[in-house]
Amino acid sequence: MNGPQAPLLELRNLVVRYGSITALHGINLTVQAGELVTLLGANGAGKSTTLRAISSLIHPASGEILWHGGLINRLRTERTVKLGISHCPEGRRVLSRQSVADNLALGAWLRRDKAAIATDLERCYALFPRLAERRSQLAGSLSGGEQQMLAISRSLMARPTLLMLDEPSLGLAPRLVAEVMAALSQLHRDGLTILLVEQNAQAALTIADRGLVLEAGSISAGGSAEQLLADDSLQASYLGAN
Amino acid sequence: MEGLLQLLFNGLSVGAVYALFALGYTLVFSVLGVINFAHGAIFTMGAYFTYLLIGGAVGANGLLAGLQFPFALPFWLALPLAGIASAAVALVVERIAFRPLRDRGSDPLLALITSLGAGVILVNLIQLLVGAESYSIPVGTLGSLPAALNIAGAKVRTVQVMLLAISGLLLAALSIWINGSRSGKALQAVSEDPITAQLLGINSSRVIQIAFGISGFLAGMAGGLVGLSISIAGPYFGIGYGLKGLGVLVLGGLGSVPGAVLGGLIIGLAEACVPADLSGYKDAVSFGFLFLVLLIRPQGLLGRPQSNKV
Repeated sequence: MNGPQAPLLELRNLVVRYGSITALHGINLTVQAGELVTLLGANGAGKSTTLRAISSLIHPASGEILWHGGLINRLRTERTVKLGISHCPEGRRVLSRQSVADNLALGAWLRRDKAAIATDLERCYALFPRLAERRSQLAGSLSGGEQQMLAISRSLMARPTLLMLDEPSLGLAPRLVAEVMAALSQLHRDGLTILLVEQNAQAALTIADRGLVLEAGSISAGGSAEQLLADDSLQASYLGAN
Repeated sequence: MEGLLQLLFNGLSVGAVYALFALGYTLVFSVLGVINFAHGAIFTMGAYFTYLLIGGAVGANGLLAGLQFPFALPFWLALPLAGIASAAVALVVERIAFRPLRDRGSDPLLALITSLGAGVILVNLIQLLVGAESYSIPVGTLGSLPAALNIAGAKVRTVQVMLLAISGLLLAALSIWINGSRSGKALQAVSEDPITAQLLGINSSRVIQIAFGISGFLAGMAGGLVGLSISIAGPYFGIGYGLKGLGVLVLGGLGSVPGAVLGGLIIGLAEACVPADLSGYKDAVSFGFLFLVLLIRPQGLLGRPQSNKV
């Protein structure tokens, strides 16, 4: 089943329910190795739920989650991390009572390759120099933008095959949004596969290869980033363009 | 002056045991957000384990009447072994009273009831096996050590010095582990945000087990030390300590490690200040003190305001 042509990640007819409420009505989604795919949509459309299902924080009611063609529906969350899926959650969720360096060290929790961890740490500090300056500071004392940088870096410390980000632009000033997007674009150019959940469609589509639009738990549109950016009706109805 | 020093030693040595005991509560509380009500029973078991390991014989009541191990370990070896046995009991309690609820996603508060039940079962098991009579750890247990030491003119029982020293060592080791080791930092991560901890690849079930194991170890050691310094008053003697430990926990601030230590020492000292002929009012003094502190600082001395705990 691990055919060489199997996509890195594939969701087939994924249905997720919270009690009696259906959050995802059978969505299909594919991410090929090396792609930057963005999942767009309004609040409550099911974007976060999709990521939560992939990292097994919630188990789907039906449908399949395939990783390299193999079923990973009902793993424990830490197993998905081991497989190479790193999920940077919504709202940053840095460990506020631990230092920047400790947060990053915990990002590499499952790794034992000390030398490579040190290299990756330097790479994170190069990507976001401000984290290097604040490495011994408590994460809770950082600004929102710095916390987002820390959350992204911490996810990178697992050396993931797939980086999933949930609204990294949320609550950031436009200048910081640009900085975060530039960093993600850089990671993508370096070969990392990224699944980016965003409400800020404009910013996300500027760096993405492809985009999908979620609406009330179903995928309502999809296409290349250029197509989606050019589609005025899409912009007006779903993407909250302003 | 001597009297004051003696009082200080009395207070600190009792307080150090309270601190050890409360730290066990704190560890479990910090990762699960609930109190393990079986903690007092595990403490009691630690005392009995210590008694048996140093070669003590079971009395005439209970199913194990007359049982005596064919060996008698020295106290310094028996105590940590009793701690390890207590840790094993704590792991069983976790497996039976906590994990099934967690696996089902039940309200964490239900574990208050199940752990209370586990505690009742443990206490009754002790009574069933070794009877309800009191046991005291024999005087010669400490070998050639004198019964009392002379410290700056004050006569202090050797046992109390030991209590203070061992508790101090354990407290230091624990705080070094929490703040300086990888697994200690993982514990802090689970404590602050269990979901994020999972997303980092931390196996939270394992961390919870570690917390229970250490908590049981501390309780067992505290039980053995109290058994040595006072006596084992019977299967129920952990309950009083359990309540006192809760008081210490709340006084110091729920979930705060330094708070548990500070709370323990303060309550120990407060009790030591009660004159001997009024010793019946010790509990009233310590809980009265707790009441006063909570009026001023509802989150406890070193606790964070409640809103921070999600």
